[in-house]
Amino acid sequence: MKDVVIIGAGIHAFGRFDKTAEEIGSHAARMALADAGLAWSDIQASYLSRMYLPATSGARILRKLGGTDMPIVDIEAACASGGAALRQGVLAIRSGECDVVMVLGAEKMPRGFMDPRMIYADWQIEMGLSLNPSYWSMRAMRHMHEYGTTDLQIAKIAYKNHRNSVHNPNAMYRKEFSLEEILGSPLVCDPIRRLEICAPDDGAAAVVIASADYARKIGARAPITIAGSVHTIARYSADFRCPADSMSATANNEGPTEVTARKAYEQAGLGAEDVDCFEVQDTDAFCELEIYEELQMCPVGEGGRLIDEGVTEITGKHPVNMSGGLISKGEPVGASHLGQVVEIVSQLRGESGARQVEGARVGLAHVLGAGGNCAITILRK
Amino acid sequence: MTDSTPLSDFRPVRSGLMTGALDDLASVGLAGSRCRACGETTLGANTLCPNCGSDDVFPIALSDEGKVWTYTVVRYRPPGDYKGAEPFQPFAIGLVELPEGLRVVAPVGGDPDAVRIGMTVRFTARARADGVVEFVYNPAA
Repeated sequence: MKDVVIIGAGIHAFGRFDKTAEEIGSHAARMALADAGLAWSDIQASYLSRMYLPATSGARILRKLGGTDMPIVDIEAACASGGAALRQGVLAIRSGECDVVMVLGAEKMPRGFMDPRMIYADWQIEMGLSLNPSYWSMRAMRHMHEYGTTDLQIAKIAYKNHRNSVHNPNAMYRKEFSLEEILGSPLVCDPIRRLEICAPDDGAAAVVIASADYARKIGARAPITIAGSVHTIARYSADFRCPADSMSATANNEGPTEVTARKAYEQAGLGAEDVDCFEVQDTDAFCELEIYEELQMCPVGEGGRLIDEGVTEITGKHPVNMSGGLISKGEPVGASHLGQVVEIVSQLRGESGARQVEGARVGLAHVLGAGGNCAITILRK
Repeated sequence: MTDSTPLSDFRPVRSGLMTGALDDLASVGLAGSRCRACGETTLGANTLCPNCGSDDVFPIALSDEGKVWTYTVVRYRPPGDYKGAEPFQPFAIGLVELPEGLRVVAPVGGDPDAVRIGMTVRFTARARADGVVEFVYNPAA
């Protein structure tokens, strides 16, 4: 199988901007091209990850860069859209058809809770079963009941991520909050509070990926290997954060993160202990805690201990969300995974400044959302 | 027009979800389906088993009484075409585990701050002013 490497990375800050999707998307794409030292005419295929943007957004954004004969395809897989799009790019290169591909994530989202019609049935919306955070919150409640996870442990994750974001110029909120402020912020859906939850916003991020041969041929600076690229939809009832109308009390299918991590670690030939830094889906602070367990950083039920012991701090053994996570960056759904990937590339190149993980050689990016969609990308220096 | 909704106008919030006569709310229950191939039970009248894909599925009645397996309190007005109380009042939703082996996502009635995991709750059909019959699980007396 051909080795696929990232040779260029670009990002438009996440936040609220008086700019079109074409403007923020082409900004990230041009930055990735410049980073790769390539011209738009060198690219042989492009994939756009987006959820809210309209049909043909890939073409609308990228034709700004000039005319092209290449395929440009929009990809949607809920919060995992970016991982699904990156995987398509990887497959295009592994197949041998392409040497160099652009993968762009871009999004512009309305304010407030996500539009429920995108993921819920009409009757669920009418009965009030369509507030996205309620499903994640129910998972948190059950975890607290079973394992004794506390409000304070959940708040500590939000505290860590907000604090990390102070050093990230591309985050929407770059403000440190005290534990008292976080625990004093209003409940959205018990036990999840306002300062523990991510907001929708705008943003874009892009990578130029290539076969290792092509990267060598053009003398690419600091190529980063895509060691694992996996997207899955979990089996029936494996995860009730997907808005199903009923869940099984008996089937015990592997959850979306568990199955995706198993496949991604296998593809990369490594395990959690080999990963130096993680960017994961902190839709809310509890979600990150549970992902510690599902990515095998610790046994099930011990996520709270990890945050208590500082294991997931930038200086810890398993740093998580050095960028500040979605809690501080916001979640422009289509762009969020590519944003994580750009952060990991920066970490592995040693270019992350105050949020740099010392000596990082392997990094993992993880997204998870509606429908049980999960994607994981593992990168290696 | 009369003040009350004509009986013939009652309709379920989702087709295939309920059993019984909608104009006699006490007779209404939740419809379920069971798969002969894998034994999985699912909510509503289904023709395919989402667990194994088999089409050998038959209807079963679901019990009215269950236990709260987990819950949360919705403290902001849900987006879109929400038909609950106006002005918005916080309410609990939960996964209610039924003895047939499934957990139903549903509103839980009563004081939202009094809901607890393990609490026994009972299915209650209720008719909205627009004639749509929906449901809630109320704390068992």
